[in-house]
Amino acid sequence: MNWRITFLMCSTLSLAQADSRAPLSASERTNGAQTLTAVAALEKRIQIMTAPVIDADGHTLSTASWVGSEGYFLTKASDTPKLERCKVLISPSVTVAIREIHRSAIHDLVLAQAVGVSGLPALTFESKARSTRYGQWLAAPVKGGKTVRIGVISAQRRKIPGGGAAMGVRMDEKTNSKGVRIAGIAEDSPAAAAGLLEDDVLLSLDGHTLNSYQKVHELVRDRQPGEQIEIVYRRSGKVAHVQLRLASRSKILQNWEGEDFANGGISIRTDNFAQVIQHDLPLAAQDMGSPLFDLEGHLLGINIARVDRITTFALPTEIFWPTFVPYIEADRHPPKALKAKIF
Amino acid sequence: MRFFFVSILFCLCWQVQALENPPAKTTLADLFKIQHTVQTQLPHVQAAVVAIQTNDGTASGVIITGDGLILTAAHVAEKPGRQMRVILQDGKRVIATTLGLDQSADAALMQLNDNEVKWPCVKVSRQVLKIQAGQWCFALGHPGGFDKERGVVLRVGKVVKKTANSLQTDCVLMGGDSGGPLFNLDGEVIGIHSQIWEERDQNMHVSMAPFFRSWDDLKSSQIIHVWGTGSGGYLGVEIDADTNAEVIKVNRVAKDSPAELAGIQPEDIILRLDGEPMQSESQFLNAVRARAADTEIQIQVQRSGNLSDFKVRLGSLPKEDAA
Repeated sequence: MNWRITFLMCSTLSLAQADSRAPLSASERTNGAQTLTAVAALEKRIQIMTAPVIDADGHTLSTASWVGSEGYFLTKASDTPKLERCKVLISPSVTVAIREIHRSAIHDLVLAQAVGVSGLPALTFESKARSTRYGQWLAAPVKGGKTVRIGVISAQRRKIPGGGAAMGVRMDEKTNSKGVRIAGIAEDSPAAAAGLLEDDVLLSLDGHTLNSYQKVHELVRDRQPGEQIEIVYRRSGKVAHVQLRLASRSKILQNWEGEDFANGGISIRTDNFAQVIQHDLPLAAQDMGSPLFDLEGHLLGINIARVDRITTFALPTEIFWPTFVPYIEADRHPPKALKAKIF
Repeated sequence: MRFFFVSILFCLCWQVQALENPPAKTTLADLFKIQHTVQTQLPHVQAAVVAIQTNDGTASGVIITGDGLILTAAHVAEKPGRQMRVILQDGKRVIATTLGLDQSADAALMQLNDNEVKWPCVKVSRQVLKIQAGQWCFALGHPGGFDKERGVVLRVGKVVKKTANSLQTDCVLMGGDSGGPLFNLDGEVIGIHSQIWEERDQNMHVSMAPFFRSWDDLKSSQIIHVWGTGSGGYLGVEIDADTNAEVIKVNRVAKDSPAELAGIQPEDIILRLDGEPMQSESQFLNAVRARAADTEIQIQVQRSGNLSDFKVRLGSLPKEDAA
């Protein structure tokens, strides 16, 4: 009888070691429903701060963050080049037209207004910058506010220098007055998105005739990621033209084969930012423009670039908000006509 | 008699599981506690994480002894006796020599050439079997290469799955992380980043099992060939894979297997392996596979109400069953 008691006691003490667990279900994982119950109260507060920006076909391009109750919002500029042709999806069945107010190429943000709406919730910008720390939990609303994701600050705050723009093509280096042949195309690149193929011959870029690969480099170098260019090319003897939106060069070079498994795509512009908070929240490119909070609900910044499988950059509020305050003020209080003086 | 025994064991399992397993729902306080723990560990472990320059890119590694022994992945080291450039946290570049490697498990050791220096180092967890799906962990590495301004990159997540040689977590990895360390919340290494599949939660790490199993061979620059992923020590008993079963009962013993030679019989109930209580078929299977062929193990079984201990020398899985 004695052995039995001993055994049971031992097993009680060491049951924590028992390998009895099945693989984690999706809801038990870091961004699964069970874990996210921790931020349920926060989710309610922050999910109403955003809405998707959709194009004419209903595709989500980016996320709008409400910054003023009269429908003022900020979103990622390079993902929304023709913002006034887009709409904000403020509820599953209601879309609202957009009026663009100010576009900042430096911050890659655009200030606009959802026309004719009022009484919307708006983000609270604190006058003093909040300090953040490596390893700190963060939360952001995703899918236009449908749900929330958590993650941590994963690296040091820093400036991200600009590396220029690129199309994502390798070119035949032979000079040819009849154009420049494409020798290779990067996966997920602007050239791939525009439908260009290997062996297509580039004839002109924004009206400039192309006769060498250096000429293409020179023309692209002068432009910024997110800028739209027009390419005229020849394929199997036929001439065609296509609009193409340039991306960050550093991103294309790093991800030529699409080997990063980015899940949800990467942003067109991923560099040239004055300062970023880097974090590991599992966001998609379309979530850019959404606000980033600490778990107490303080606004820390706006998500500005999905960089790769593990990286998202957010612009800290103090970096961009002072730029936009005067534009909102001026838009709220347009200069009135001078009153006629009465003698 | 047996019914009595089984029902008490079952009740205890149930009670203790309720205490030991984390509550199904995480609270905000839980998250802040994890944050505090991770932030406390980071300053101690960060400096031991290194970048390693390979022929066509960069990878990561972690220093685990003051005299400069590094754990990394076999696909980083490639072969013994290779001189590789290692970049420390402050950007300083030093040279290390690759030692042994286990290609099938993707485990490798390296030695920093200068062993006069006291290198920053971290502890390795020796409790390979204790790791459970659901436990929190954190990953460090140099994804995309060394970047002094950015620093070592952190990911916090959970263990999703454990197998004999590997761990899967939702700490998302990418190119350049290979060879970097996965830590438990005590700041001890529990895995080495190995590979990813396309889904975000498919991040695979070599567990410490392949390292411990072949430690001496790895240190003496041997290449370990025999170890197929998912293979391991072979006992030769068949056990019902019924997850609801309350005991681990032997169904069948393979002819001429190590188990039969040692005297284990059908209907025996497995209680312990090397003194460690066995609670489930999967725990038992993993414990056997985590040991190398030719290891002598002690198995305690219950037979007709009596306890017996058997010494078994593990074999290798017969080829015809290996498919």
